[in-house]
Amino acid sequence: MPDDAAPLLEVTDLSIRFGKAPTNLVDGVSLTLERGETLCIVGESGCGKSLTALALMGLLPMPPARLMSGRAMFEGRDLLHLPIAELKDIRGDRMAMIFQEPMTSLNPAIKVGEQIAEAVRRHRGASHEEARARALEMLMRVRIPAPEKRLDEYPHQMSGGMRQRAMIAMALANDPALLIADEPTTALDVTVQAQVLDLMRNLQAESNAALIMITHDLGVVAEMADKVAVMYAGRIVEAGPVKAIFDDPQHPYTIGLMSSMPDLGPRGGRLVTIPGVVPPADAMPEGCRFASRCPFAGPDCAEAPPLSDFGGGHRVACWRAPLEQAAEPLQTLGGAR
Amino acid sequence: MFGFLARRILIAIPTILLISIFVFTLQKLLPGDPVLAMAGEERDPEVLEFLRAKYRLNDPIHMQYFYWIGGALQGDLGISLRTQQPVLALIGEKLPVTIQLAVMALSIALVIGVPAGVISAYRKGTWVDWLANVVALSGLSIPNFWLGIMLILLVSVKWGLLPASGYVPLSEDPLQSLQTMIMPAFVLGTGLAATLMRHTRSAMLGVLKSDYVRTARAKGLGERVVVVKHALRNALVPIVTVTTLLFGELLAGAVLTEQIFTIPGFGKLVVDAVFNRDYAVVQGIVLCTAVAFIAMNILADAAYRILNPRMRDD
Repeated sequence: MPDDAAPLLEVTDLSIRFGKAPTNLVDGVSLTLERGETLCIVGESGCGKSLTALALMGLLPMPPARLMSGRAMFEGRDLLHLPIAELKDIRGDRMAMIFQEPMTSLNPAIKVGEQIAEAVRRHRGASHEEARARALEMLMRVRIPAPEKRLDEYPHQMSGGMRQRAMIAMALANDPALLIADEPTTALDVTVQAQVLDLMRNLQAESNAALIMITHDLGVVAEMADKVAVMYAGRIVEAGPVKAIFDDPQHPYTIGLMSSMPDLGPRGGRLVTIPGVVPPADAMPEGCRFASRCPFAGPDCAEAPPLSDFGGGHRVACWRAPLEQAAEPLQTLGGAR
Repeated sequence: MFGFLARRILIAIPTILLISIFVFTLQKLLPGDPVLAMAGEERDPEVLEFLRAKYRLNDPIHMQYFYWIGGALQGDLGISLRTQQPVLALIGEKLPVTIQLAVMALSIALVIGVPAGVISAYRKGTWVDWLANVVALSGLSIPNFWLGIMLILLVSVKWGLLPASGYVPLSEDPLQSLQTMIMPAFVLGTGLAATLMRHTRSAMLGVLKSDYVRTARAKGLGERVVVVKHALRNALVPIVTVTTLLFGELLAGAVLTEQIFTIPGFGKLVVDAVFNRDYAVVQGIVLCTAVAFIAMNILADAAYRILNPRMRDD
């Protein structure tokens, strides 16, 4: 039975590798999440944030993906080593996922109402009528106009924002304890983005579900997060309460990331970019993976720094942390803090 | 849906007229004289002239066309120059045979080809996929006439399980009719099953990678629901297309197979008519086949609209 004192989700040392690659694409990722809490995983494309989410849902195709290590305790069960039948019972019921692209993530040939209802029938053993009623209730909760009519519409008859609302309705139909949202607003118009985020926050408050929000948008993080984990090249480089990360970023990559945001960085000048590129998967360095782009890098960075706690749950994987002085290299990253 | 069908049928009319003109003129370009073919040994110029006059073969070609198409519109496709039977009666006699053969062959093809394609896509890269592909490739490479002869040798001659040839109308004795047709249908069906399997496999491979299949799995749905309800449904459009084309081909006649199993179908009628310069019959058959093809295409388009809701909003 789930231990009430234990966190809702506790991921330890998750590592994933693809095919015969020499290094892990997700490397030693550890996360904890309490009930009702929102964790944002931030990082650029390919940093392993989506892989992490898909692995938790058991949706990574294996092969080619291989689980190298890790545990993910969720309500007393290890998601990563659960028999597939048991995982299917949890999926869509205790935990659910929202994807980036609502157009392609909804089945074009099935009515939206049915796509929501089938999840209810699957997990609650509801009749067709009950499931349909629940689908209608969910469409109302996500504030889709004329929900009775929408039940019998196909995804292509809806707008992008409405489709994502329908996805959210589908994910929340069985009151999951954990919701994973993979860039849920990236494909939407800016005005719609705010509405959808707002909706998600409200629904989360109503249901006390925990939320893992995967995003590369620091604006979304500021809006939604309780906690943040910054990922770079498959590893968590910095994690902690949102305030600590925004007010006092310690990892050079986090600082660079913040500075490269037009509305967070210094105004008036050129947009700041982090020099260099992410090392390719087949040429990952042994040590700190950010070293080749880091203005603070030294010989000791050839060894991978551990994710050490600097107080208040603020953890940083950098030999230079805590950063205090060193104004010059900081300016290269645009962080005149 | 009704408006859509009406529109499609209206568009089909000029198409059919064009085909009829094309066939009519093309046939006139064929070497050989139908009157000579009809008269046989008789070479008396007066007789030949009489026959030409009787069948209005001396009239200008466009007039001949109008006679023919005018009759066709009233359901009269003319008279076979060879047997003196009305063409419509000839077709009416052979068409049910061919339709029965086509439907049975296609059913066998669908029952084998679609599940095999689905399974091989789902198990891509495993021995199941490999086996299905090898079997399909064999199905495509083995000539129908060879398979037919082998089946007759084994099943009919050696084991005496099924009749080797002959035809019994479905209305007369359904069981016996199925018995006589099952081997030729199997011979035709296996070849088509291979084609269907390949198309199903590639369509399913695309769909299984799609985001909505992942969403279906994320809902915790079982694999069978994921594959059949969420994936196969979206892969059906290309499968319907191929099935329609195959059915059209079958209607046009499976000459070799009909010949081997001595089935009195369309295929034999066409070949005989062409060799005998039996213009009226050839024209009638081509017109019928064209209409059937167009009808199948309209049905396929209707099926697309049922399968793919995005096509309904025009």
